[in-house]
Amino acid sequence: MRRIARVSLAVAAAALATAAVHSSQWRWHLPTRIAPPSVPADNPMTAAKVELGRQLFYEADLSINGTMSCGTCHSQKHAFADDNRTRPGVHGDPGRRNVPGLANVGYAATLTWADPSLTSLEMQVAVPVLGEHPVEMGMRGKEAEITRRLANDPCYARMFRTAFPEVNGAIDMSTVAKALAAFQRTMIAFDTPFDRFRQGRAGAMMPAARRGADLFFGRADCASCHSGPNFTDDGFHVLDVPMRSVDRGVGEVTGIASDNGKFRTPGLRNVTLTKPYMHDGESPTLIDAIRRHRSVASIQGLSDTDTADLVAFLGALTDQHFITEPQFALPMKACGKKL
Amino acid sequence: MRHGLVAALVGIALMTPLSGARAQQDGQACAGGPATMPTELAGWSSRRQITAASNASGLGTATLGIGSAVDAALKSTGEVRYVMRPEKPGGSVSYGGLFAFSVDQPGTYRVALGSGAWIDVLRGKNAVASTAHGHGPDCSGIRKMVDFPLTPGRYTLQIAANGEPAVSLMIARLP
Repeated sequence: MRRIARVSLAVAAAALATAAVHSSQWRWHLPTRIAPPSVPADNPMTAAKVELGRQLFYEADLSINGTMSCGTCHSQKHAFADDNRTRPGVHGDPGRRNVPGLANVGYAATLTWADPSLTSLEMQVAVPVLGEHPVEMGMRGKEAEITRRLANDPCYARMFRTAFPEVNGAIDMSTVAKALAAFQRTMIAFDTPFDRFRQGRAGAMMPAARRGADLFFGRADCASCHSGPNFTDDGFHVLDVPMRSVDRGVGEVTGIASDNGKFRTPGLRNVTLTKPYMHDGESPTLIDAIRRHRSVASIQGLSDTDTADLVAFLGALTDQHFITEPQFALPMKACGKKL
Repeated sequence: MRHGLVAALVGIALMTPLSGARAQQDGQACAGGPATMPTELAGWSSRRQITAASNASGLGTATLGIGSAVDAALKSTGEVRYVMRPEKPGGSVSYGGLFAFSVDQPGTYRVALGSGAWIDVLRGKNAVASTAHGHGPDCSGIRKMVDFPLTPGRYTLQIAANGEPAVSLMIARLP
């Protein structure tokens, strides 16, 4: 396990080196050696913004017919993923890709499955709210309606004024996105058996999980892509897997043929809770997802026992606190009143 | 309780409005007519009218029978006072409401909906955990089905985040 420790230290050092602006107004609750996520200079963290972002995360008025919020698909009990293969949008259009979990999403260098240009949570908000490929929340061209709905609620008007005094509490897509991003940056998940094991508590991981860790960082070489504190290299890779439908992945965005079939390496924290798996949601279990990596040479030689050990290790990446933390849950009050 | 909106190319008239291309696809997919329904959902095609209650005190006139389908008129979400806050509350422009139903025999009961609305089944003020969810038979008009293990007693069905002011609805006991 010394290799695990070396990797962890190197990653933590890198995270510290690359962290950008960190607000002094927000107190992060992070383990030692883990730096806060980068925060854009024009969207510093504040408690008021995070509180507003949490309300908006569960606000179905961000969808055209009031049926869908961020929390509709990103469910806390599923580590803010979804247990369906894909989700249809408000008009019933089929979803294209599996809903990713949000553990430590503030650390992601790029968002969504296959768009290298989406480099901030603020930018990503437009994908579900305004996107048309597919239509999810259906608000393209209806941004003024979001303003109208939220401004009609005195509590929201007050929360925006408190969170965004620099723009006199303006309610628009910019401030909505900033508040949602601030809330999502608080979605921290580093309290797992693996983290406790790494901190020296040998009994924190069961023997099968320890064998799985050795495989993960060793012979199976999973960590060549699933690297760093969140088990992702933030890169885009092609896995030669059969797919039900054609999805060009990154190639669809860049128009470059060699990008066809590339998808972002998903992080693995809480992965046990986020089934089904892969960008298309076509892998119902972790065993199936591992087997879909069969084009990777180091995976080809794994026995069934090896695979079971890997699954046990992945189970040790579950942060139970993340799925029960009230600060992430559907608010039951707003402006001091019961909802 | 967990259930999801499942992407199903299902029936047309009762679903949330679809995009033009999608509606055309569905029309072609369902050209052969409605699906053969399982016995427990046979009552789906014959629906009576009912109006949802906007709060618990109005449940007496919003009672569902097991095995009988309804076309339910819903309330604007702002008018509804739910017994328990729905896990996925609808926005101000959505619709919802409350219904009462009674169970005489223990078993698994299936709530079938013509939309992807959120539903809670409550015993008193406590939500019953669902055991399965999915979509209805192709071309049946049933978009979503959620199963609940119920014992004899009186229950409240909460509907939230419906995109239209009406929804088709049925509760059936599974064999």
